Amino acid sequence: MKQLRILLIEESFIVREGVKTLLSLLGRPYSMEECEALSMGLSRLLSRIEPNIVIVNPILLKDYSVYPRKINNKAVFFVGLCDDSVDKQLSGRFDFVLSIKDDKVSLLQQLEKILEKANFGSNHQESNTLSERETSVLKCVALGLTNNEIGEKLFISTHTVMTHRKNITRKLGIKTVSGLTVYAILNKLIKVEELQITVNKEDE
Amino acid sequence: MRIQKDLKMADVIHMNHHLLHVINRFGIQLGFGDNTVEEVCRNYNVNLDFFLEIVNTYHDPTYFPLGDLQKFPASMLIRYLQKTHQFYLEVKIPEIEVAIQNLIDNVAFEADHLHLLKDFFNNYKNELTDHINKEEQRVYPYALALEHQLANEGHLLEEGLVKANYSIHDYEEDHDDVESKLFDLKNIIIKYLPSPLESVRFNSILHELFELEKDLNNHGHIEDLILIPIVERMESEVAHRIAK
Repeated sequence: MKQLRILLIEESFIVREGVKTLLSLLGRPYSMEECEALSMGLSRLLSRIEPNIVIVNPILLKDYSVYPRKINNKAVFFVGLCDDSVDKQLSGRFDFVLSIKDDKVSLLQQLEKILEKANFGSNHQESNTLSERETSVLKCVALGLTNNEIGEKLFISTHTVMTHRKNITRKLGIKTVSGLTVYAILNKLIKVEELQITVNKEDE
Repeated sequence: MRIQKDLKMADVIHMNHHLLHVINRFGIQLGFGDNTVEEVCRNYNVNLDFFLEIVNTYHDPTYFPLGDLQKFPASMLIRYLQKTHQFYLEVKIPEIEVAIQNLIDNVAFEADHLHLLKDFFNNYKNELTDHINKEEQRVYPYALALEHQLANEGHLLEEGLVKANYSIHDYEEDHDDVESKLFDLKNIIIKYLPSPLESVRFNSILHELFELEKDLNNHGHIEDLILIPIVERMESEVAHRIAK
């Protein structure tokens, strides 16, 4: 499951905490940014945070007649946090409306639906398997080669090596070189003997 | 929920048993009866406000101290932090080592993988020890020297300290690798060890690792939230006096 980015814009601390509590009860992966107000303008805020979902108090958006539907080519869904006082014209601009007076169960059901939809909208599922290139880089890292050495060996730039390493760490959930070495041995990408050869070479 | 002085100490432990290690560091022993946090602290001659700050940062990782932290002397805080170091090196790490060794001695299948694990943990232990030594030999003495200087008004700072122009911020970035290694170790066991037949044995190791991680995170948190602000204030006060 891909991690959604949610932007929450709401003045009231209590309401923000309430939304966060409900979201955490759903048990889906997401990251959250919150704002009390629109101090920098909607489009700037959106392009900086690149959310998949914006949960917002409609009053704060009353100066905007149109909300962007895409940010950097990725779909964004607007969820209005409404109470009875918000008029239909305003709430009609949202993809979804959450009524803050609804009970817990129905709020949870609505949020679940919204997250489902947004997850689907952002379609591509992140794969955690390493590509062939990443596997070669991983082998070199595990054997203790530096970024420069890896670049020379695989005919790629140091910058590219670094990008591969970042992706490897993200996919495997292993951050340190010695952790990656253990992973490589466990998965028979390298042999313990090879490791000793490189270590000895360093000693000389 | 914030832990307050009027709560019964027994209820605090019921609420979060992880705090047992923490109260031990204050020399507080079990058998609270119905005594409140305040009463227990008084009985053991523990500074109540300081105790509350420490247990609250431990209890709730999002806790932010509201009170005036500057009122605690650095030496009080450092005594606590040293106790946590002692706990890691003398209790927690040996416990995990024993658990790993037990596993190696008792598994029927080939133990190659476990030796990898053992080496990795050894590596980690060395790094943690280095990190702790650095704090004990450089950071804490520095903070204590500042405190000492401020207490003896009129005296100028020892030249060494001024010349070194050492600032508490010089050591902040060090926490990272110690945390990453522990994180990796957990993930290797959880995700990547070929599914062991005696998975139950790994549970206790993992449990210990999670405990250690929680404690280390709190240790770092206390340094960032309480120790560093105190030292910064002392640094600026010393600079101010020197300028005069």
